[in-house]
Amino acid sequence: MKEKDSFVDCPEQQLILYVEKEDGTYGPVQTGSFITKNYINDFFEKRQRLEMSLKEQVRKKEISPIACYMTLEDLTPAETASRVGISVRKIKKHMRPEYFPKIKPAILEKYAEVFDIKVIQLMELYNG
Amino acid sequence: MTTIPYKHQMAAHCESGTLTTMLNNSGLAITEPMLFGITNGIFFGYFHHSKSFAFPTFIVRSRPGEMRKIAERRLGAKFATATFRNPDKGMEALDRLLELNIAVANQVDFFYMDYLPEWERVHINVHFMTVIGKEGDDYIVSDSYFPRLAHLHKDSLRKARFAGGNMSPKGFIFHPLFVPEEIQYEKVIPKGIRKACYNMLKLPVPFIGVKGIRKFASRITEWPTLTRDTEHLSHEIMKINILLEDQGTGGAGFRYMYATFLQQAAEKLNRPEYHDFSKQMMEIGDNWRKFSLFAARIGKNRDLGPEKMKQLSEMLYELAGMEENFFKDLYQTV
Repeated sequence: MKEKDSFVDCPEQQLILYVEKEDGTYGPVQTGSFITKNYINDFFEKRQRLEMSLKEQVRKKEISPIACYMTLEDLTPAETASRVGISVRKIKKHMRPEYFPKIKPAILEKYAEVFDIKVIQLMELYNG
Repeated sequence: MTTIPYKHQMAAHCESGTLTTMLNNSGLAITEPMLFGITNGIFFGYFHHSKSFAFPTFIVRSRPGEMRKIAERRLGAKFATATFRNPDKGMEALDRLLELNIAVANQVDFFYMDYLPEWERVHINVHFMTVIGKEGDDYIVSDSYFPRLAHLHKDSLRKARFAGGNMSPKGFIFHPLFVPEEIQYEKVIPKGIRKACYNMLKLPVPFIGVKGIRKFASRITEWPTLTRDTEHLSHEIMKINILLEDQGTGGAGFRYMYATFLQQAAEKLNRPEYHDFSKQMMEIGDNWRKFSLFAARIGKNRDLGPEKMKQLSEMLYELAGMEENFFKDLYQTV
C-alpha cells in the first residue's frame, strides 16, 4: 500500500500502518482507523438493536440478564466461568431466567465487573 | 511518585511495540518490523470451534508471549519476569519497581484500558503495555495503541492484570535486566525467516499456516448457519476487517510489517533478493487488504448471500496459494 493511499482522517482512533513511501522504502505512518471512520455508525446501530432485542427477551423471561450481557460482550460460558470464578454448569444455570434471583450477591458483583456494569443494572433489567 | 523518563512511541502491534520501545529505551536500536521478523511473528491460524471464542475466528501472529522469549534467545537479552496469585502482592511489586525507576511491561485484559475508545475494547487477555509512573490513584501508561502517555486508574489496572479467562494475565510483568549493544543480524535474521516458513508450511496441524488459510476458506461459507440473523452475520464478517487491519497488525494481518522486515533484512544482510520477497509480501498484503475491505463493504450492505460468501472463500483460497508459493520460495533462501 502506498503512503498516499493510507491516510484516514479519524482522530478518535489512531493506528500505525506500514506503507510504501515515495522513495520506495517501507515504513510506518500514523493514521486513523478506516473501519471506524466509515462504519462506526453501523456498529453502534447494530449493537443498539441487539441490546434492545436481548433486553426484550429478558423482559419476556426467555433469557436472564446474564445471558443478555454474555451475548453483548461475546463471552462463551467457558470464558465467563473462568472470569467469574465459578463452574460452566453454574454459568449455564444462571443464563436461565428462573435461576437469576438465586445468584449470590458476591457472584453478581463478579458478573457486573466482567460486564463492566453495576449490579443494580442487572437487577433493574430482570425486574423489567 | 513521578514518571520515569521513557520515550513513548506508537507501534503497529502491542507485544512487538512494547518490546521494541523497551529495548530502544534500554539503548538497543531495533525497529518493530525487525523485532517482528527476528522473532518469527508472522503466522496464521483458524479456529472454527473453541470454548473461548463465541464465534469462529482467526489469528495472524504467533502465540502471545513468544516474541519476548524468542527475543531473549536470539538477541541475547535478559528479562526479569513475574506472575502473581495474589493481586495485592502483584500491585505492590509493580509499585516497588516503579519506585526503583524501572519501567514495567504488563500483560493485561484489553477491555479495561479506559483511555482507548469504548468500541475498541473487548475482553482479550493478551494486550501488552508499559507502566512508567504513578500520580495519585492513576498509573502512567505507555501503550503502543495510544498516541501519547495515558492515565489508568489503579482499580482498572488491577482488574486488567488479574482478569480470568483464556490466557489470563495472572499479573504478568517483565522488564529488561540486560540488553546487548549490538545484534548479530547475520545469525538471527535467517533463524527468524526459517522458523516463520516452517510455521506457515510444515506444522502438522490442519488449521495452522497455509493449511489454516485454506481451512478458513472452506469453512467461511458455513458462517451464515452459525449466526442468529443477518445482523449477527454482518457483525462477524465485518470483524474480519477489524482483526486484519484494526487490532494492531500494521495493516493486512501483519503482512505489511513482514514486508518491511524483509526490506530491512535485505540491507542488513546485503541480500538483494530479499527486496524482491519484500515486494511480493507487500502485494500479498494488498490482497489481504482487498479481502478485508470487501468483507467490510458486504457486511455493511448486508449483501451476504451465498454468492458473496463464495467470493470471500475464493479470495481466501487465492491468498492461501500466494502465501504457500511465497513461503516455499523464501524457505529456499535460508
